[in-house]
Amino acid sequence: MAERFTPFSYVVINLARVIRPDEVTFSGVNSTLPMLACLLAKRAYDFDFTWLNVAGGVDAELDGPVPLSSGDPALMHGSAAVFPNEEFYDLCTRGGMDLCFLGASQIDATGATNNSVIGDWHSPKVRLPGGGGSAVMMPTLRRAATWRTEHSARTLVDKLFFQTAKGNLQTVVTPLCVFDKRDGRLVVESYNPDVTVDQIRSVTGFTLDAATAKPTPAPTDAEIAALRSLDPDGRFAADANIQLPEFAA
Amino acid sequence: MSRKSKHTSLEALVERIPDGSSIGLGGSFLHRGPFAFCRELIRQGKKDLEIIKASPGYDLDILCRAGAVRRVRAGIVALEGNFGLAGGYRKAVESGKVELEEHACMTLVAGLRAAGAGVPFQPVGGVHGSQIAEVNGWKKIADPYGTNQETYLIPAIRPDFVVIHANEIDATGNARVFGSPHWDRAMSRAARTLFVTAEKLVETERFRERPELTLVPGFMVSGCCVIPNGAWPGSLAPDYSVTYDEVQAYVDDAERTIEPHMSRAPELKLKGSNHG
Repeated sequence: MAERFTPFSYVVINLARVIRPDEVTFSGVNSTLPMLACLLAKRAYDFDFTWLNVAGGVDAELDGPVPLSSGDPALMHGSAAVFPNEEFYDLCTRGGMDLCFLGASQIDATGATNNSVIGDWHSPKVRLPGGGGSAVMMPTLRRAATWRTEHSARTLVDKLFFQTAKGNLQTVVTPLCVFDKRDGRLVVESYNPDVTVDQIRSVTGFTLDAATAKPTPAPTDAEIAALRSLDPDGRFAADANIQLPEFAA
Repeated sequence: MSRKSKHTSLEALVERIPDGSSIGLGGSFLHRGPFAFCRELIRQGKKDLEIIKASPGYDLDILCRAGAVRRVRAGIVALEGNFGLAGGYRKAVESGKVELEEHACMTLVAGLRAAGAGVPFQPVGGVHGSQIAEVNGWKKIADPYGTNQETYLIPAIRPDFVVIHANEIDATGNARVFGSPHWDRAMSRAARTLFVTAEKLVETERFRERPELTLVPGFMVSGCCVIPNGAWPGSLAPDYSVTYDEVQAYVDDAERTIEPHMSRAPELKLKGSNHG
C-alpha cells in the first residue's frame, strides 16, 4: 500500500513536483521548505535541472546535514561557481529564470501576494518581513511557486492588505491542496486525499474553483526515501509544525 | 592618510561614526554580517542611525532593540532559520519609532549601483504591479530608444558609511571574502566612506597570488580592523557556522534585554588588547 502524506510531506513533495527537467530553478532566503523541495527533487527524480540558491550555490551537493537557514553557506558545498545575489536577480530580469520559489504571507485569487503588512502599510498592525525579491522577480520570471503552511481565510484572501508583488505566480501549495493558475485565477488542481473539497472551501478566503480537482497522487517511494534522508530525525517537520485545520463538522 | 593608519581598533573605528549617519551593512541574514561592529555601535550608544541592507536580520534587529535606529531601507527582514520574524525590528516599525523605506532587494541594490556609478538613478527590472513603487513614489519611464518598454528608475542610495565583514585583509586594506559576496560589491562601491572588519590579517603577497579574489581593493578602504569571530552569532564560511543556540537565546531572552547576549560577544575578549 502506498504511503500517505503527512501535512509536512504534502507541502515539500508538492513543491518538488513543480520542478521540471532542464530548467533553471531558484530557492531563496527564509525558504526552508523550497530548499528541502529542491534537494528532494535532486535525490528523487531521474532528471537534471539547474538549482541556484541564495547562498550563491549552483547545483550544490550537501556533505552533511541540511542547514536550518536556507541561505546557509553549506548550500555552496560542491558548487563549481559562485552565483551571488545580484547575478540571480539580473538573470531573472533578463528572462533566464524558469522557476522561483517565492514566499508570501497572503495570496489572492489572482495570485498577487502580500509580504509587507497586516493592516495599513503606513500604520501596520503587524510588520511582515517584506517582499524580498518578489516585486522584481514575480513579473520577470517564467513561473513562480509559493507555499503556505497555514491554509486559512487569513492567508488565502479575497483582498490583500497590500500588494507586494504581482506577476507569474503559477502554483500555490498548502497542506490541503495544490493551486494552479489558469486564465489569471487560482484553481484547485489537486487536493490532499485526507480532506474534501468542501472542507478546503470552508477555510479559503476567496471563491474556490475546484471543478477539475482530483486527489493528489500519493507520494512515491523515491520521494519518501529522499525526504527521510533530508530530515532523518524529523527536525524540519517538527519546526514547520504543519497541522490540518479543525474543520466544522 | 598613510596606508598603515587604516588599521585600528573596533572601538576607534566605531567612534568615527556620528549619530544620525546612514550605514550600509554587508552580508545577508545570518551570514557574514559585520555583527561585532553593530554591537559596538550599541556599546557606544549611537543614535538615529539609518540602516541600509537588502536582507538584514540579526544586525538590524539588535540595533532596533537597542534604540539606535531611526530609519531603515531594506528588502526583507527576518532572523531566518526557523526563528521567524525579527521581533525587535517589527516592534520598532509598528510603534512608529523606526521609519521604513521598503524595497524589493534588487531595487535597493539598483539604488546602490546608481550611487556606485555616480548617476542619479538606475533602471531596474520588474516592480510592475507592486504597491512598493507607490509608497516610495518611484517613477517609471518608457524606453526612449524605441521599444517603449516601461522601466522603473530607482534613485541613488549613497550611504555615509558602509561596513562589510571580510574573511581576510592585508595591511593596506585589501579585502577578500570566500563564498558568496552577497550584495557587498554594490554596497562597497556606493559608500562615501568604506570600513572593513575582517577575521584575519594576511600578507599582501597572498593577495598578489590571487588578485581575482580581492573583493575590495585597499585604496577604497578608509578604515579597517581585525575582529576574529566578527560575524558571531552568524556564520562565516568556511570557518564557522551559525551559532543557533545563541540566536535562540537572543530571541528568547525572558527579560527582553540584550545584555546577556551582548555579554557573551567574542569581541569583548579583544578589548584592551592591541589589534593593529
